[in-house]
Amino acid sequence: MLNYRQQNYWFAQHKINQRRFLTSFGMTGKGSELKKKNSELDKKNLKIKKGIIFILVIQLLIFISTSAYAHKVSTYAYREGDKIFGECYFVDGSPCKNSKVEIYDLKGQKILEAVTDEKGKYSFTTKEKGTLRIIIPAGEGHRAEYKLEGIAEKPEKKENKETMTAKTPNKPVQSEATVNKDEIKQIIDEVMDAKLQGLRAEIMDLRKQMDKVSLRDIIGGIGYIFGIWGIIMLLKRKKNAS
Amino acid sequence: MHISEGVLSAPVLLTGAVLSLIGLTLGLRKIKNEDIPKVAVLSSAFFVASLIHIPIGPTSAHLVLNGLVGMLLGWAAFPSIFVALVLQALLFQFGGLTTLGVNTFAMAMPGVLLYYVFRKMLQKGKNLAFLGGFLGGFLALLVAAFFISIALMETEKSFVGIAGTLLVMHLPIALIEGIITGFVVVYLKKVKPEALIC
Repeated sequence: MLNYRQQNYWFAQHKINQRRFLTSFGMTGKGSELKKKNSELDKKNLKIKKGIIFILVIQLLIFISTSAYAHKVSTYAYREGDKIFGECYFVDGSPCKNSKVEIYDLKGQKILEAVTDEKGKYSFTTKEKGTLRIIIPAGEGHRAEYKLEGIAEKPEKKENKETMTAKTPNKPVQSEATVNKDEIKQIIDEVMDAKLQGLRAEIMDLRKQMDKVSLRDIIGGIGYIFGIWGIIMLLKRKKNAS
Repeated sequence: MHISEGVLSAPVLLTGAVLSLIGLTLGLRKIKNEDIPKVAVLSSAFFVASLIHIPIGPTSAHLVLNGLVGMLLGWAAFPSIFVALVLQALLFQFGGLTTLGVNTFAMAMPGVLLYYVFRKMLQKGKNLAFLGGFLGGFLALLVAAFFISIALMETEKSFVGIAGTLLVMHLPIALIEGIITGFVVVYLKKVKPEALIC
């Protein structure tokens, strides 16, 4: 809007200047001519307005395009013990429904297959602790891949061992304490899950946002294109010269 | 319209790359120095068009504008589309670097073919030029969908199935692109008729 105001201001100034110019030449007496000039100015005004509308349309298009997407599919998954939860979505965040999900291990062998639901979510259970490759062939030449690292499992294992070693000396002495410990562990797990749920949702949102096309990339890309063609033009000119 | 990485097998990728390379060399040879700004503008139009997406039914498709690029550039459409696809792959992760050959050929070739079919029509009167532009833009996308289906034939197993879905999905977009191309051709005819000759 600022632009529009500036334009209007500039335009008013321009009008005043033109009148001054006309009066300095003694042309004010000719009313018809002035009217003509005024109508011309109106036409110019219209042109400027058209230009502003054009710019606004382009801005709108850019706005739309930042929220729009091409058919790029992404996926993200996380572990919760033996269970693995994941979500598959298009660039704009809309879910990838009823799509096949293939899970491979590091050797490239297919372990499992799953299907995404209406919200693009999928889950499966696996004993495999190593790195997993999750591939979603979304059809029509689209495909998403996600590498789920197996490292996250290791500290948990250690934890288990620690609790095991802690348990063994306790067991013969107090059996009640071990029950309590198990209960405590369960409670902690539950609380942690509830707390992590929010965090996971946030990570999901962040990932979706990262996958969105940014305005910076669009403008940068256009710049690159002109740069590349500029270089080609230069090279061609040199060839022609020699 | 962009085939992602890891979908196609090596022979398909190689064929696409070789065909695109031929198109690229032909295109680069045919470009005159004074035409390069036009090529660059259409390159960036193609680059941005893929971001404008139109929802149709359950799925959605984006503008491609390969017909427009082809009708205005002829063989130069190959380098023009190639540059745009490289940047789309690098910046937006649309398609992929290994599938560049297949994607370039599938989108540029229809435009070139239709350019030779309709280029005489573009030089005629306003109505005929619009029709030529419309048909060029309309058919280029459908032929591109057909090419993509051929490339995907191996992975998708049933050619009729994939070609059917791709064609139906892109029919409304093809209509829109036909209209856009028609209007651009008529506008250029009025403002800068020499831009239509290449």
